[in-house]
Amino acid sequence: MMFQLAIDEQQSTVGQDDPSGLQRTKPDNKPRVVLFRKATRWTINCLIGFHLLAIACWCLPIDSPLFPLCRSLVRPYFLWAGLFQSWDMFAPTPKGANTYIEAVLIYKDGSRAAWTYPRMDQITLLQKLFKERYRKFADYLEKEDLDDLLQDVARHIARLNCKPGNPVKTVILIERISFIVPSPDGSYRPAPWDTHVLLGYGVRPEDLQ
Amino acid sequence: MSLQSFAEIWNEFFFAKQSPIPIALFRIVYGTLVIITLGLLRPDWLNWYGTNAWLSLSTALKLEPGHRLNLFAIIPQSDAWVNAIFWLAVTSAVLLTIGLFTRSSSVVVFVCLSSIQQRNLYITHGGDTFLRLAGFFLIFAPAGAALSLDRFIRVSRARQYSPPRWQSPWAQRMIQIQLSLMYLTAFLVKLKGATWLQGTAPFYVYHLDELRHFPLPSWFFRPAVLKLGDWLALALEFALGVLIWVREFRYVLLILGLLFHVWLEYSLNIPLFQWDILSAYILFVDANDILRVASGWLEPFGKTFRASAKHDEAVSRNSAVL
Repeated sequence: MMFQLAIDEQQSTVGQDDPSGLQRTKPDNKPRVVLFRKATRWTINCLIGFHLLAIACWCLPIDSPLFPLCRSLVRPYFLWAGLFQSWDMFAPTPKGANTYIEAVLIYKDGSRAAWTYPRMDQITLLQKLFKERYRKFADYLEKEDLDDLLQDVARHIARLNCKPGNPVKTVILIERISFIVPSPDGSYRPAPWDTHVLLGYGVRPEDLQ
Repeated sequence: MSLQSFAEIWNEFFFAKQSPIPIALFRIVYGTLVIITLGLLRPDWLNWYGTNAWLSLSTALKLEPGHRLNLFAIIPQSDAWVNAIFWLAVTSAVLLTIGLFTRSSSVVVFVCLSSIQQRNLYITHGGDTFLRLAGFFLIFAPAGAALSLDRFIRVSRARQYSPPRWQSPWAQRMIQIQLSLMYLTAFLVKLKGATWLQGTAPFYVYHLDELRHFPLPSWFFRPAVLKLGDWLALALEFALGVLIWVREFRYVLLILGLLFHVWLEYSLNIPLFQWDILSAYILFVDANDILRVASGWLEPFGKTFRASAKHDEAVSRNSAVL
């Protein structure tokens, strides 16, 4: 009975483009239409209620044992349907360092070359529009729990830089870091760049296929 | 609040019929944003999603396990098929924007968008996430009931003009709720970080070289200004998450939110993010106000809009939506 109100108001209305929304159903079809409308309304109500609760539990960062439980329950559905989400832009703590990725390439003949991953601060405004994804991807390359990602990147860089008869044998992925530290007066002076080796990868022939 | 009154509020909120103009306008903006998103990705379709992409499909499936709606996982592994998915996405986004086969187009857009994001979750930003979520609920919305070729064809066949039929806005409400939850979550997550409470977070954000966009005045970097900006951003995120539902505050907050996002667009390089989010503001604007503005702008074609606006205003006298 709870959600009966709105159903009763609408049960006699059908029609695609009827401006009044008051086109009557044929009398013999009416009970079936009413039943169908009730079922539809209940289904929609369940859909709304479930999604409201599930989305709120999924994204709201509230410390309660119920929330992780709810998240684990809805996780398979959310992953499948693409309803997972996180809204942690620059939060809880914004990135505290300027970084970029470089690679040292060692070729079969022993020669070396440096290769730099696209850097947002060194491209034009127009290029930034197209290359934004590289910035986002680089953020993940710096995460320590994504080694598989780094190996894929190393393979891709090897493919990009192969020369005929002189393939890349080793890729060393390097992260350059300059921490953002406020001066005592609140101003900013760029800190020197530190180097952090992310991965050394021996390229296999099948990686270059 | 009694159970009965809760039911009445629920029914009023989700099912009291309203003009489909806001959701139709949102559909147009949404479709356009999807097209632009795919267009900006165009030079790198194969670099990100092809058989020799930065992230291979096998690694993507390993790092992000689980059953997912991902066309890339079921198509034959060739670049031609990858391109086919993208062209399917572009075509369906165009159809959605113009409102032709609206419902099925919205389904295809969502499936393609979801697949593209699932294929490589490490290059998606919040704007993409919002497009995906809004796309899911758009499937259920009467997005083609107005401002669409579908409607134009229906009206042409009937050979007489009738204003768009008012419909239950429950799917539109879900997108609105999704937007407000986004702001509320962003606010709550920021509260968990000391830098946001201290007012120093913008110092770090605005000194990230990768995010630098247009030049900023030197006074903006003064600690007091950054602190003020920090706390204003927190207050605004809370207000857009909660107070947006109070009718009296709504338009003021929408304008402040618009200014906030335009400022972020100017100052930070996160292409399309701000516009993806702003697109959903349309859903908070009353249909009569949209029609009033539109009938002014489109005076030469105003007959249709005036008729529609008159009809909507007449019905709205007896129906307080939100």
